[in-house]
Order: sequence, then structure tokens, then C-alpha cells
Amino acid sequence: MTIVAPLAISWVGAVALALVDGRRPAAGWAAVAVLAASFVATALLAGLVLADGPRQMVAGGWAPGVGIVLRADALGVLFALVSSGALLVALVHQVLDGVGSRAFGALVLFLATGLNGLFLTGDVFNFYVFFELSMLASYILSCYGDEARQLSAGFIFAVVNLLGSFLFLLAVAAIYHVTGTLEMEAVAQRVAGVEANAVILIAIGFFVAFGIKLGLFPFHFWLPTVYVSSTPAVAAILSGAVANIGSYGLLRFGAGILPVELELGATVLLVLGTASIVYGAAQALSRRTAPEVLAYSAIGQAGYVLIAIGIGGPVGYGAAVVYAIANAISKTLLFVSTEIRGPLVAAAFAIGAFSVAGLPPTAGFFGKLELFRAGVDEQSVALVALVFVGGALSFVYMLQLYQHDFWTGEGRHAQGEGESRLALRLVSFSVACLVVALGLWPQPLLAAGQEAARALGAMPA
Amino acid sequence: MTSVLTVAAARLLMAPILVVAAAVLVKGYADVGDGFSAGVIAALGIVLQYLALGREEAERLLALRLIGPAVFVALLGALAVALIPLVRGDALLEHAPAPGAHVVELGTIELITAVAFDVAIFVLVLAAVVGIVRAIAHVAEGEGEGGP
Amino acid sequence: MTLLFALAVGVIFGSGASLLLKPDLFRITLGIVLIANAANLALVTSGLERGASPISAAPGAAVSDPVVQALAITAIVIGFAVTALLLSLAYRIYASARTVDLDELSSAEALRAEEEDSRELSV
Repeated sequence: MTIVAPLAISWVGAVALALVDGRRPAAGWAAVAVLAASFVATALLAGLVLADGPRQMVAGGWAPGVGIVLRADALGVLFALVSSGALLVALVHQVLDGVGSRAFGALVLFLATGLNGLFLTGDVFNFYVFFELSMLASYILSCYGDEARQLSAGFIFAVVNLLGSFLFLLAVAAIYHVTGTLEMEAVAQRVAGVEANAVILIAIGFFVAFGIKLGLFPFHFWLPTVYVSSTPAVAAILSGAVANIGSYGLLRFGAGILPVELELGATVLLVLGTASIVYGAAQALSRRTAPEVLAYSAIGQAGYVLIAIGIGGPVGYGAAVVYAIANAISKTLLFVSTEIRGPLVAAAFAIGAFSVAGLPPTAGFFGKLELFRAGVDEQSVALVALVFVGGALSFVYMLQLYQHDFWTGEGRHAQGEGESRLALRLVSFSVACLVVALGLWPQPLLAAGQEAARALGAMPA
Repeated sequence: MTSVLTVAAARLLMAPILVVAAAVLVKGYADVGDGFSAGVIAALGIVLQYLALGREEAERLLALRLIGPAVFVALLGALAVALIPLVRGDALLEHAPAPGAHVVELGTIELITAVAFDVAIFVLVLAAVVGIVRAIAHVAEGEGEGGP
Repeated sequence: MTLLFALAVGVIFGSGASLLLKPDLFRITLGIVLIANAANLALVTSGLERGASPISAAPGAAVSDPVVQALAITAIVIGFAVTALLLSLAYRIYASARTVDLDELSSAEALRAEEEDSRELSV
């Protein structure tokens, strides 16, 4: 029952809200209430799973080999919690700012449904179905604002990601054909006995699909266009919730189901991750407006996650989880603070900048620390140097952006003289407080990361 | 495109198409058939009316005012069938009555919750396809309807 | 038999991919439709068995794989929803910009960005 609660609450809420006009403030706040209830249900489930171990339910009351398995383990529950939180922050920001389209609240709730469903499932095809549901909601959300550039950016976003989705479907068809089952644990066991050529092709299919989602080099070309044209709340949703699908997919399908192929491809992963970091940092250094810098920064941060996965082992996977979570929270904070001004917001943006650069006392510092630790474990000088240089570059471009927008530059008066609404500023500030809190008291985050990595290692039991 | 023959054929075909859709929906418990395919067949019948008769004539004929909310009401029905077993303590989407228990029969149709689910899917697909076609038809005619 | 299906999937996917690279919104949509159908065909190929439909089959009879058919119908439904979305979006872009050519759309975009920049500088 507890596994389905987050999914059920957001799904029923989404359908109910689709029947009313979402532009009215009452409907907006109703959406926030439903999403908050779903978030609380996810948090309760997370507490239960982190304390007692993975929970499982088979839909339809069938036996596990026959029915669709819904599984909540530490990895899935953590990502579900972070994504729900990012969605909640973005929705509150947009409701405070005024919702301009009828279906915004319902779409965010459908996205929450899809994300909860795909993080909390143990069946490959069920993952695909919820994956498509989330992506459809996000395609429509990326057109929010209805200006010409948002519509064409939304179209490009849809087409590129659909290509990835259909590649994923081809890989799912292939994996069903070679293993004869769709349940993730059974697939992980049976895939060991399959011919290596086939499995490598399947692994490449999964990698490309999730790489497109995450915005890795060389699948990143859609990302700047879409992030730059979106409104701040939608950009926060895309970077703080939808990008998590990519990280989770790489961890679950790579490390969980196809670990041998992941090790084979480790060099490729490290090279692509390095390319992403360098490309993202170089482009971000040369840009001036906040959405552009943050979009290229997102490409760079995806590279770090890929490097952590490439390093592998419990240390590498734990570092990947911690980094992905810290990055999601930082990006949500930064995107939500882009178009509002005031001293509270400036402080919040500075904290977000520190988190991206990896400076204490923020959550991003511990993300980078875990990466350092993984690199040192691997005894690779190049990796440690790369993380350090990447962090330095991030600090430079974030400082440039802060200076341009909040301190002395031309972006300071973007919204006219004076401060934005207090409520909007408080939303940014509270997320910044969360980032600092995680930076000062990182034990829960680090322990959760280790738990998640252990959940991955325990799959082919 | 809309000759007299087309218009006459379209009007005559509406009822048989609906009957075929109902047949596909109902025979799905003993043979190949499904709520989704039935919904698509019925929706194709309605789209045929739009194509042959034009928008105003078709809407006057078919009384499709409530088709928009019907999508979400049907989806709520399907979700109810999926989620109510959770309240009773069973798993998600577990159908009642359980295999082997006594079943109420209406002629040759067995009344189980799977039937309700299928009918909900039928209405959902029908309303969704017709809703999309209507939205595009309204925009194409130059009347901007507000909202996405 | 699988080879024939695989060739068909390849041809359809290739046609879809070449349509995807054209600068016309509706051709891109059609390319996605073809790719979706190629993926559905691959799904059906992955479960090719000859047999009766698996509803009240006699024990021991040859039965076709129901899982693949369920996967295929789900994928078809998803492909349908996606097609509807892309078509609506393409029509919406046409309604506001009066063109579906990607090159024209991006040059109009660039023009608009230049105007905004010059307006900001002059303010």
C-alpha cells in the first residue's frame, strides 16, 4: 500500500485537476496541496525503506514471475524524493508568480506521477510506460508560455527525446527476446548467460537513451535551446526532476542490470564524461545570461555523474548518487532564482553557485568530495585533477554570473528597480537553507548514497 | 470531396461502426478483442462523420458537448478500479471476484471489475481521439479555443 | 523469418531517420511516426511464435506469446499519443508563424533576438 501511495495521490490529483481551469489561484494551490501530500507519502516510504530494506508489491495479486513488480529500494526512493521536492519547489514558485495556462498544475502532477512510477518499479516495461508518461508531460510543459521560441524549443525537445525513447523501446524488445522476462532482478540474473554481442548492443541502446535525457556530450545539442527558452520554473523542473531520469536509468540499467557491460565500457564513459565537463565549462565561461550559463553548467555536471559511474564499484556508485542528488537540488535552486531580485535571493544564488563549484558549506561540496574519494580509490591522478580543474572552472563562471546578475553588472535591474515579491524570495531562500543544511550535516545524504549503492550491488542476488 | 454518395454512406455507416465497436469490446473475454481497439473503431466512425459532413453538421448530429470532461471522468473510473483493491487490502489492480469465486452473469457477460476497467478504457480512448480531432477542427476553422 | 522482419525494421527505421533530417515540421513528425512503428515491429519480432491465441487454450497446445502482444499494444498507444502531440504542436507553430520550414523559423527567431537586443541597448 505504501509503495503505491505517492503514485496514487498524484495520479488522482492530476486527473481531478485536469477538469478545472488551472489558471485560477485556488486550482494552483490545490495542485500544490496534492503534490505536497504526494511528497510526504514519498518521504514516509523513504523512511520505511531506508530503515527496513526494500519493499515490493506485485500488481494484480499474481506471483512475482507473472505480474508486474513494484519495488521500492533505497536508490529509487531517494531519487523519487528529490524529484518530488524539486517539482514542489518549482510549482510553488510558478503558482506564486501566476499560472498562465489551464493545464499547468495538472501537467506537473502527471509528471510527478510518471516520475514516482518509474523510480518505484521493478519491471523494465513498466519503467518504459512511466518514462513515456513523464516525458509527454515534460514536452507539453516545455511549451509553457506559448511564445514562438518556446513552441519550437518544445518541438525540438520532443523530437530528440522521442528518438531516445524509441531506441530505449528497441533495447527493451531485445532484452525481452534474449532473456525471456521483464522483471529487473530476473533479467539481471539471466543476462549473464546470454551471448556477449547482443548484450553489448542492448547496453549501448540504454546508454544512448539515458545520455540524451541527461544531456551528456555528444547528445546534448537539444539542452541549451530548451533550457534557455523556458520560464524559470519549467527550467527548474527539467533540470531538477527530469534529468534525474537519466542518472537513475544509467545507475539502474547499467550498474544494476548490466554491470559487466558497464565495466567493459568504463573507458568510454570516462572519456565522454571528461568531454562533457570540459565542453560544458568552456561554453559556460563564454556566456553572459543566466539561463545559458546554467544550461551549459548542467551539461558539465552530467559529465561528473558519468565519471562516477565509470569509476564503478560501491564507492563510484555511491559518489554518483550523492552527486546527482546534490546537483538536482542546486540546479533547482539556481533556476528558480534566475529572474527574481533582492538580498535574500542574492544570498540564495550565491549558495547555489558555491554548491555547483563544490565549496563548503554546501551539499555540492560533499558531492565533489565523494568524487575525489572515488578518484583517489581508483588511484588515478588524471581523474582527481579533472575534478579539481572542473570545480575551479565552475567557480569562475558561477562567479561571473553572480557578478553580472546580482552584484555590479547590467543584469541587476532586469526586473526593474526594487525587490520581487517576498514569497518568491522566501522560496529560493528556503531551498538555499536546505543546501546549507545538507552541507553542514551530510551524514543522512552520504549514508543514503551508500545504501543506494548497496541496493545496486545486491540486485543479482 | 464531399459528394452526395460520401455523405449518404457516412451517415449510414455511423450506427454499424458503433455496433462493431461494442462487439469488439464485449467479445474480448472469450476471444481477441479489447477496450482500446473498440474505442479506436468508434472514434474512427466519428472522425468519418467529421470528414464527410464538415464540422458544424457533424457536431449538430452527434451532440459532443461533454466529450472533453468525459476523458478525465473515464480515467478516474479506471483509476478507481485500480486503487480500490488497495483499500480492501489486496494488491494494486487485483480484480474482484477472485478466480474460482462465484460470478454474476448478465447473459453471457460475466460482471467482474475487469469489465468496468475495459469500459472505462473504451470511453477514455473514444473521448481522447474525438477530443483531439475536435480541438484541431476548431483551430482550423479559425475559432481559437483558449488553453493548450 | 526473423531476418526478413529485421530487414523490414531496418528499412522503416532508415526511412524515418531520413525524414527526421528534413527541415519541415510535418516531415519530422512523419519520421517519428515511422520510427515508432519500426520499434513496434521490432517488439513483435522479438516474440515470433506460431500458435493459438492464449485465451482458454487447451493444455499442451502451441500458444503465441501474450506478453509481446501486450507490449506492442502499449507501445502503439504511446506512439499514438506522441503523434497527436507532435501534430498539435506543429499545427500550433504553423498557426502562429505561418510557416513550417525549420530554416525560416530559425531565421525569424534570429531576427526577433536581434530586435530585442537592439531594443535593450537603446533603452
